Amino acid sequence: MNVVRLVKKAKRGSKDALLELIMAEKDAMYRLALTYMKNEHDAMDVLEEMIVRLYESIGQLKKEEAFYSWSKTILVNLCKTTLRKQKKVVLIDNWLSSKEEEQVESAESNGQQLEIAEMLSILNANQKEAIQLKYLLDLDYQSIADLTNVPVGTVKSRVFQGLRKMKEHFGGEGIEKDRGSVE
Amino acid sequence: MKKIEEVLNEEKRRLADMAPPPDFEARMRSALDAKPSIKQKRRNPYVIMAAVGVLCFMLIGYNYNALAFYGKKIFGYEEIMTGTMKDLNDKGMGQIIDKKTTLSDGTELIIDGIMTDPNQLVMYYTLFNPQGLEDSLDYAFIGDEITGFLTNAHSGGSMSKVNDAGTEIKGTMYFDPVSPFSKKLTLHFWQGEEHREGSITFPYDPNKAMQTQIKQSIKETVKVDKGSVTFKTITATPTLTVIEGKMDVDNFNRLHFGFEGVKLMANGQSIDNMGYGVQSTFNGSKFDLRFDGLPEELHSLELVFNEFVGYQKLSEQIPLGNNTHHDLEGKDLWIKSVVPTERGIEITIETDWNLLLDGVSIQSGDKVTPLKTTIGQRLDRNTDKFTSERTMVFDTKSMPEDLLIEGFHYVKNYNHKIEIPVD
Repeated sequence: MNVVRLVKKAKRGSKDALLELIMAEKDAMYRLALTYMKNEHDAMDVLEEMIVRLYESIGQLKKEEAFYSWSKTILVNLCKTTLRKQKKVVLIDNWLSSKEEEQVESAESNGQQLEIAEMLSILNANQKEAIQLKYLLDLDYQSIADLTNVPVGTVKSRVFQGLRKMKEHFGGEGIEKDRGSVE
Repeated sequence: MKKIEEVLNEEKRRLADMAPPPDFEARMRSALDAKPSIKQKRRNPYVIMAAVGVLCFMLIGYNYNALAFYGKKIFGYEEIMTGTMKDLNDKGMGQIIDKKTTLSDGTELIIDGIMTDPNQLVMYYTLFNPQGLEDSLDYAFIGDEITGFLTNAHSGGSMSKVNDAGTEIKGTMYFDPVSPFSKKLTLHFWQGEEHREGSITFPYDPNKAMQTQIKQSIKETVKVDKGSVTFKTITATPTLTVIEGKMDVDNFNRLHFGFEGVKLMANGQSIDNMGYGVQSTFNGSKFDLRFDGLPEELHSLELVFNEFVGYQKLSEQIPLGNNTHHDLEGKDLWIKSVVPTERGIEITIETDWNLLLDGVSIQSGDKVTPLKTTIGQRLDRNTDKFTSERTMVFDTKSMPEDLLIEGFHYVKNYNHKIEIPVD
């Protein structure tokens, strides 16, 4: 697939070209949206909004080869805006996607997701975002920096501080609890 | 308790197993299809040729005398120049380049000249092939960007006209502005069906660039139903007037209307709209509106915010029936049919083409079902206006009694005027 060529076609108004670009990365995009939105319904809503937004503003994309980082940044921003609008408290129950509930081994998954939700709940929003992108979606620091629009150093420090906080709180790797330290 | 890494890893594996729903592609497509096709800055060549035909007729008709005179102007483009560009060219404001190269399919590309100012670069070029040119320029030659010292100017749009024999195209291309420190510029383009890259370098004399006439802040905010639009600055150069600003309007994208209802008036006359661009940022969007150059003698300048997207809140409960008409705060809604299909309940409606219902659901007894998706939008021209017919799909089997509507997005008259002081 020639990304640059498809982007050029999309710039000239081809909906099919844009769709082809999105379909090629649908798994990654879906999981990215799911990481923020927590359920299939909201994730799909945001993705729909994203493709419309991309279609309308693809003329502004200067570097064709940067299509995916550009579109994912827009996706992340839309997710955040939507979440802000919903002012939604992510209850641990909502963490489960509708699909997940249908699975047979749901009892075990539930336990695991409770665990992770609880672990992440002690972090601030930025740390949580960085940890999720790094460890759940397996993105590198540079990609995370691009998506969240902060320098790489900041991402590294968020990940590090987040991990440390979790470890201090839940134990694990032998770091002494040091509640006196200022972060 | 498990180690942190272990828990994270398990969660990562769980997430990696999550596949998009089977209707992913269908939903993406219908979201896109619900949008009317966007008129990109690079316009459809057939529309251009029609427009150029009309323009050419008007220009020659009105300016026959002027055509007889030429000094240092770039020659041969009268037919595809807008009024302002033509005036400037007549005054010899362009730079003659006259550089040639040969494209992969044997077509000769000639850069005849350029015209520059702090808002843009306009390039005048010729494509010539005695064997005949491709029908669609897209497969022969696409200008991409111009580079040079401190310069990386992307292409905005183009206009061109092919001669009767189909062997020669005269065209103009619009680029971002170039740096006054560049002495040489390189045009990068794509050629042939494979879109292979090519380039041509030519000298540039920044001293011949035209200067900015007006650059000042506007700093006016207009409140609209779902947010606000702030006009920040105006930069007028001989070839182009650019107004920049930012906005935070929740429903801007709900209608395909954009800034069409915002006009720039100079000396009481409307200045031609050359397009607009919107770029999402983290807290809202940045936009730029482009208008033709301003008249030399400027007495008054006014930005007229006539129409823009608005929102009307409703709490309507409409009894459903085939072929019924309803009034939504002065707007028409026709319900054409209500039918059960294997997808669920499908309701076909018709409204003004630029009206979008919001918060739609159907009610059957106590049961309320929200709208699942909208399909098959069709635009129609009815006597004096465009209407849009589409089918709303609801995921339920029970025949509804009522249609519930919370509001609609529409083109609203704001009629706000902003005076821009001129000295």
